[in-house]
Amino acid sequence: MAKRTVAIDAEALAGHSFPYQHDISLVEDMDLMAATPGGDLNWLEDILLLEEDGTPAVFDRYSNSFLKIYFDIPEGRGDEYARKVLMTHLTTGNSYGIQLKEKHCKFHQVELGPWVADSKSVGDNYTPPVLEGWEAPAH
Amino acid sequence: MAGLTKSGVVYDARGLVEPDPEPPMTAEIDGDRAVIDATELTTRKINLELKRIVYDEGVNDVTIVNPGSKHSLGVGILKRCRITFEGSPGWYACGLIDGPEVQINGRVGWALGENMMSGSIVVEGPAGSLTGAALRGGDIVVKGSVGARTGIDQKGGTIITLGKAGINTGFMMQRGRQIICGDANDGLGDSMYDGFIYVGGRIASLGVDCVPAEMDESDHEFINRKFEIYDLGTPPELQKFECGKVLHNYDALEPSERKLVL
Repeated sequence: MAKRTVAIDAEALAGHSFPYQHDISLVEDMDLMAATPGGDLNWLEDILLLEEDGTPAVFDRYSNSFLKIYFDIPEGRGDEYARKVLMTHLTTGNSYGIQLKEKHCKFHQVELGPWVADSKSVGDNYTPPVLEGWEAPAH
Repeated sequence: MAGLTKSGVVYDARGLVEPDPEPPMTAEIDGDRAVIDATELTTRKINLELKRIVYDEGVNDVTIVNPGSKHSLGVGILKRCRITFEGSPGWYACGLIDGPEVQINGRVGWALGENMMSGSIVVEGPAGSLTGAALRGGDIVVKGSVGARTGIDQKGGTIITLGKAGINTGFMMQRGRQIICGDANDGLGDSMYDGFIYVGGRIASLGVDCVPAEMDESDHEFINRKFEIYDLGTPPELQKFECGKVLHNYDALEPSERKLVL
């Protein structure tokens, strides 16, 4: 019987975890100020360290999923590392919401969002999917 | 059935629709800066031109002159850039944006920055009702007053109003922050789930489950930081309000309900 779950997890969507969920050194260099508009953290101000299934996690609003963090987070810096893990996830294009853009995006936009300069455009050549064997009813 | 008006603007039978999907190619581009004169353009043409030069021409700094209070200008821009309106856009300006820093040298109508994901919008004049409706992230600064239900269903981000706020401001607010320097009309924070509202002036009445809260050091740091970033001078004495958590409580709801507002 197929395993059923009600949780929305980035690992479940991708089929695997990502190295930066395990290794703090892979997110240390993420410059949060450079990655966000304006003179402070802007939208990242609302990104906080949360918990999912008893594990520290950050919520990825672009795929509506939790991204668990397995490395030891330095005391008092939970929100900072949650933001660094999330931005690494987004800028590397691993967020499931970003991966869906290539196939399903209906309008012209940059693939990796506003965080990566010179990201390629997607959504220019969208064609609606066709259901095999179905024809539109005559009106 | 499409028709042609005297001005040459094409409308279809449903109303204010511009069926021609081609950008007008009228922007004056100078390096990474550009100017769009909106005088003779429909809403769709203005937005097509804006997207063309931001996405395809590498322009990072756009000025839109003569916006003429047309509705839905500057919507859906999902890239870091600067957009300046010399004049007043109409309803739903700059909705659904993710990244732009917008300066509006005028006033705006209803629902400025609706569903904005990130970036900033600074308005030199007043803004209408529903400013920052369903705001998810980023900053909206209105140097005049705002209308009713500002920040309705707000899910994140910050709305700063230097003037007064209309009735039911912060209605059903779920996260985020509002700073209102002037007076607040009836029903402030009515049915709010979460988030904070700071008010400098008089409050006509609090809404259901909106209660006073204690200011702490982090509140002062946050307010001072925002005022400094946007060069707003010294913040006034502010009262803080939050959700009393009597009307709504996430703990009693399905966990997935809470995820919807994250």
